Amino acid sequence: MKNTTLIFFFLCMVSFSFVDVNGQSASQLVDLCAASAGDDATYLQDFVVELEAAKPDEKPPVAKFSMVLKKGTLYRFTVCNSESSPGKGVLQLIEAGNLLGSTFNASTGQEYKSFNFQCNKTGVYHVFITFQEGKAGSAVGILSFIKVL
Amino acid sequence: MIKRFTFFLLPLFMIYSCQSGGEADADFQIPDSIANDAALEVSEEAMEEIVQNISSPVEMAALIKSMGVPYSNKYLATTDNTDDLNTSFDQALALGIFGADLGYLNMYNKTTTVLDYIGSISKLADALKVGQFFDFSTLKRLATNNTNLDSLMYISVHSFNQMDDYLRENNRSSLSSLIVAGVWIEGLFLATQVAKENPGEAIAERIGEQKLMLADLLLILKNYKKDPNFAELILKFERIKEEFEEVRITYEKGEPQAIEQDGMLMIIQNDKSIVHITDAQLGSIIAVTEEVRNEITGN
Repeated sequence: MKNTTLIFFFLCMVSFSFVDVNGQSASQLVDLCAASAGDDATYLQDFVVELEAAKPDEKPPVAKFSMVLKKGTLYRFTVCNSESSPGKGVLQLIEAGNLLGSTFNASTGQEYKSFNFQCNKTGVYHVFITFQEGKAGSAVGILSFIKVL
Repeated sequence: MIKRFTFFLLPLFMIYSCQSGGEADADFQIPDSIANDAALEVSEEAMEEIVQNISSPVEMAALIKSMGVPYSNKYLATTDNTDDLNTSFDQALALGIFGADLGYLNMYNKTTTVLDYIGSISKLADALKVGQFFDFSTLKRLATNNTNLDSLMYISVHSFNQMDDYLRENNRSSLSSLIVAGVWIEGLFLATQVAKENPGEAIAERIGEQKLMLADLLLILKNYKKDPNFAELILKFERIKEEFEEVRITYEKGEPQAIEQDGMLMIIQNDKSIVHITDAQLGSIIAVTEEVRNEITGN
């Protein structure tokens, strides 16, 4: 009976710890990434991403988010990788199927932690987040408001 | 044997119950005819696409402040009736309205009044069983300590985002849609009141663009039109929609430019949206928005 009780309590401890850890890690990364966006940035929205590695002969998985951006506004998009992420996150801004901006320039290999977007057309935009070379990864994207133009 | 088996199963049950979503919209006693509907008319993906930031208190307040318009508390919804709101429908709508006002107050650093709105938001969030997203004591501490206003802004916005995500992930999208509706109508009210007293092209254009947001918002709300409260809210918003009918939005195409400034990549969009709104149209929108918003808030 005593052994059974001990096993029961152990299982309870394990079950609650699984519920807790992952949520805290993502939340901490959002807080850190939002703070790293810049002193001139006001947080608007976050995009939490965790993707598996691409399977052979398959395209890398992509996480997609949508938002409304307004004309006459300067926004900033920032991407931050979790410490344990095997892959480096790439954030792309898409509108009507057109790539407007990316934190990774595939042709030059240049990486940017953030890019600013001067919006002149109010509408629905999409953020795609993927990981370089199709690796698995976990990252956070942040949309910040910079200023009215 | 059965007792041992039960001991092992109980923690698994606790994991499942902590992680599983709540029952579908138990909040305002939806009639069986709605609760048992097979699927919403708008897909979940489209709903997420539309809802996320259809109206942003930060951006509207920033536009108003950038015009040099001084702060005015006459624009704000009263919090006096918070304790009288006893249906989840009214509570969710008010939560959105106060959320918009909180964005305005934060933008103007009105920390004393912020405390009042944070208090009402916390009460409403608790009533809606989403109080876990609003740490009242932290928000109060930040509001009282005038040197940490950026953190106050961040936590305010982030809390609303987390609450919205939670509601949608836990089959409570109807409440999420009401909160969005509350944020939207209050944001439009703020903008139209400012435009009434401080006319200008930028504010008129931002008001005219709401034609697009309103169309999307009505799409979401009409998923719940069988509920009489939603039906009444839809009728109110349709009155505003009528005044936007003749507002036109046109588009010019252009190629984006990418330049590097001080080590930061800057993307300049050369596509443009242009809002065509006359003074008469704006006047009608201002008037009916004021009527509808005051009917909702009791101001």
